[in-house]
Amino acid sequence: MPKVILQFEDQTLKDYALGHRVTIGRLPDNTVVIDNPAVSGHHACIVRDADRFILEDLRSRNGTYVNEKQVYRHALQNGDVVLVGKHQLRFDEMAGGEAAAEHDEAALPNLGDTVYLTTQKHKEMLTKLRSTVTPGRPAAAPTRLGVLRVLSGRADHVEYRLEARTSFIGKSEDALVRLQGWFKPRIAVAIGRNGDGYVATPSGGKTLVNNQLLAARHTLKDGDVLRVGGLTLEFRTK
Amino acid sequence: MRLRVGAATDTGLVRNLNEDVYIAHVDRGLFLVCDGMGGAPAGEVASKIAAETILEELNRVSDEHTTPRTNGEQQYLPQTNRLAEAVRRSNSAVYHHAQEDPARAGMGTTMVGVWIRQHIASVAHVGDSRAYLWHNGELVPLTRDHSLVEAHISAGILDRQQSLHSSQQNILLRVLGREVEVDVELNEVPTQPGDFLLLCSDGLTRTVEESALSRAICELRHPQQICDFLVAAANGNGGADNITVVAVEVRSSLPRRVFHQLRQLTTGGPRA
Repeated sequence: MPKVILQFEDQTLKDYALGHRVTIGRLPDNTVVIDNPAVSGHHACIVRDADRFILEDLRSRNGTYVNEKQVYRHALQNGDVVLVGKHQLRFDEMAGGEAAAEHDEAALPNLGDTVYLTTQKHKEMLTKLRSTVTPGRPAAAPTRLGVLRVLSGRADHVEYRLEARTSFIGKSEDALVRLQGWFKPRIAVAIGRNGDGYVATPSGGKTLVNNQLLAARHTLKDGDVLRVGGLTLEFRTK
Repeated sequence: MRLRVGAATDTGLVRNLNEDVYIAHVDRGLFLVCDGMGGAPAGEVASKIAAETILEELNRVSDEHTTPRTNGEQQYLPQTNRLAEAVRRSNSAVYHHAQEDPARAGMGTTMVGVWIRQHIASVAHVGDSRAYLWHNGELVPLTRDHSLVEAHISAGILDRQQSLHSSQQNILLRVLGREVEVDVELNEVPTQPGDFLLLCSDGLTRTVEESALSRAICELRHPQQICDFLVAAANGNGGADNITVVAVEVRSSLPRRVFHQLRQLTTGGPRA
């Protein structure tokens, strides 16, 4: 019985015997389910017409291609390669014997064969991904810029902008807020900036946040007051 | 601050070869896990070349000679950029080896690396090997896989639970050694005593849930025991792939630990 062979990245995933009508799409009610965002819910179908097999695009979003040409209706010939999203379906008219996979055993790729998608293919895929992703899920908002304002003490600035991924308060040359004096720690506090905000981690010496000893990681909130090495600093976001 | 490390790597129960490689240098604060791909003998060669090149490059290049490649990298500390540069050079090394030897064409490797200097852990990764920070019972991912399923998760088309059953788990979007250039993802996290850092290959994370990783750290609190336990757990769940785990414990300096223990003995007070 003629069949189509589903392939992805040179990897054969599964064979499907061609009966009277075979549908291809992302939704589970299709004969050939391709769970990939580049594939429309009901993407295409292959219908038997006497001894021919007719491939029909079901007005899919990204189109159906045969041997790299876009088709809407096409009579399949032996060896034709149908492209649906990034998956390929190879038409094999000569396949003999029993239909290999009328039943639905999952064709899990071997864990051992890690597949790499080249940058070029990845980019094509992402473009398609963007066109298919439904809006409504906001992208992670960038963290608002945090600043430390000097409330009291001797410092070389009035305000420090926490732009870097990690900013230090301490005697170290790398420190954003530099502490002066013999007994000050090299690094008293490290302030990390991540997607969720700013986190202060104590590193040496004694730091108070809102008059409490900073003993563990602390997520900074607007208005937090840090006292470290003779300086009083207020955290604000802009 | 002192570090204590444990590490374990295992072929698993299905494969014949272990293509994973780790490096754990406590005195330098450098920890790496690389998971090679490309079949025998290429995969194990790729991961080995990558790990060794990163180590060599970090010995060679100094902070001053590393200039940030992109605007984004200006946000990172010099030590983090230096790690990134070493990883980029390891990419070239694997790539050129693969070009020269047809038997190794197409080889590649993932990599995750943590470099701890002055309390700050710089993290670099490419592919689906992962790093986690554990503190106070909470396991925080420091990396996000460069894989198709992870891209689907962040696009909102797949949730994390579904992703564990996806047939596309083994499709990577970034690896070392397959292209001339590689985009290295970076992260930084200040550490403090009591923290644990965990580096692992996907042979662990695909078979053992994150909650179990966290529980192992919480209950064992000993780097080598954690690694041995997790490898056994992955094999207990089938051991389908090579498994590699590196666990790093951040401890306070010795005098401080002694001080706290003495205080605990004399006063029965809480242990810091």
